[in-house]
Amino acid sequence: MMSFLTRIKEMLVETWKVGDRVGRGKAVEAVESEVEEMENIFGILVLGSFVGMPSPPMQISLDLMPYMEKELILMMEKVDTANEPISQLFSIFNIG
Amino acid sequence: MMEKAINIFYMGKGGVGKSTSAALNSLFLAQKGFEVLLVSLDPAHNQSDIFEKNLSDTPKQIIPHLTAVEIDQDHWIKRYLKDVHNQINRTYSYLTSFNLEKYFKVIKYSPGLEEYALILAFKEIRRKYLQHDFLVFDMAPTALSLKFFTLPSLSLIWINHLLALRQEIIKKRELITKVRLLKKEIETDKVLSRIEDSIQEYTTLKELFEDPERTKINLVLNPDLLSFAESKRIVNGLKEINIFLNQIIINKILCDSSCKHIEKGLRGIPMLQAPFSETPLIGLDILTRFLKENNDIMMRQPLKILMNGVK
Repeated sequence: MMSFLTRIKEMLVETWKVGDRVGRGKAVEAVESEVEEMENIFGILVLGSFVGMPSPPMQISLDLMPYMEKELILMMEKVDTANEPISQLFSIFNIG
Repeated sequence: MMEKAINIFYMGKGGVGKSTSAALNSLFLAQKGFEVLLVSLDPAHNQSDIFEKNLSDTPKQIIPHLTAVEIDQDHWIKRYLKDVHNQINRTYSYLTSFNLEKYFKVIKYSPGLEEYALILAFKEIRRKYLQHDFLVFDMAPTALSLKFFTLPSLSLIWINHLLALRQEIIKKRELITKVRLLKKEIETDKVLSRIEDSIQEYTTLKELFEDPERTKINLVLNPDLLSFAESKRIVNGLKEINIFLNQIIINKILCDSSCKHIEKGLRGIPMLQAPFSETPLIGLDILTRFLKENNDIMMRQPLKILMNGVK
């Protein structure tokens, strides 16, 4: 009897945990994509000279570049989705 | 350690006598017993010819108390790029740094690093020789010199904007981790710390350039209208970034040259008038003789102000 109750309790806890994780994930999804977008802007601002954008004095870009691997990769990835901004927006907000 | 070295910069249009004035000033101070390092930041070096000595990146003694060095700009650019390259190889994953190789080949030829190379050389010299009394800098032609002085201010404008954006990103990132994992992200953002370091570095430089006690900028010009016009642009360009001139040296004055237009146009800045020398001022002996002959000029004018409070 006890073990049955414990199992039910464990299941409930597990369900709660999964639900909690999903809820939390959903709650920050939009903010996450906003941050990603901002990181991309930061990347373009600093390393823009590599893709033909006006950029800060060269030494600022070069000083920060060693610490910007993530932004650099993100910038390159963004190039792939740059042609479909609407579909990207739809997927962020789960439309369709 | 106290930074006691005073920077003296010589600026002006090409050919007005910046290098000779810098050499004379260095000689004068060294003969008075001050420890002086004469640094040529002009990519087309003249000091070797003036002193008839083979100068290089390592300081060479000219007379007791006076050493001279010529900065190799390309060497500093290469060294800086190599540092960045190594740093990238250390921090990036193999694949990313491998893909970046082709960019680095291009960067080597990118413009806009010349003035930064001079700044790097300047910082190194200040760090190494801060116990000297005077560091006399023979500057590059106007355009590059102005870029040299504006670099800290200009960089600060950019980097402060980047700082604001970065802080916003970090705030949002922290919010995400807090909601997702119920704890705050402890990891420090390397980009942010580099930005903060840069702000510190540029601010220190900016303050050093703006401090009339530690940095004396001397503008050399000739009585002719062209060098006067360019000098006015230099004065205004520096004023915009809050840097003021220490003195103006009107060089190569002949008996009939009139300096009224200069005195009128650049009022408020101490002026020193140096006569035209019949013999070319080349070689230690001729320079020393010229100094002796014009000792009263050197003593009368702002150099005296310069020496107050040093010894």
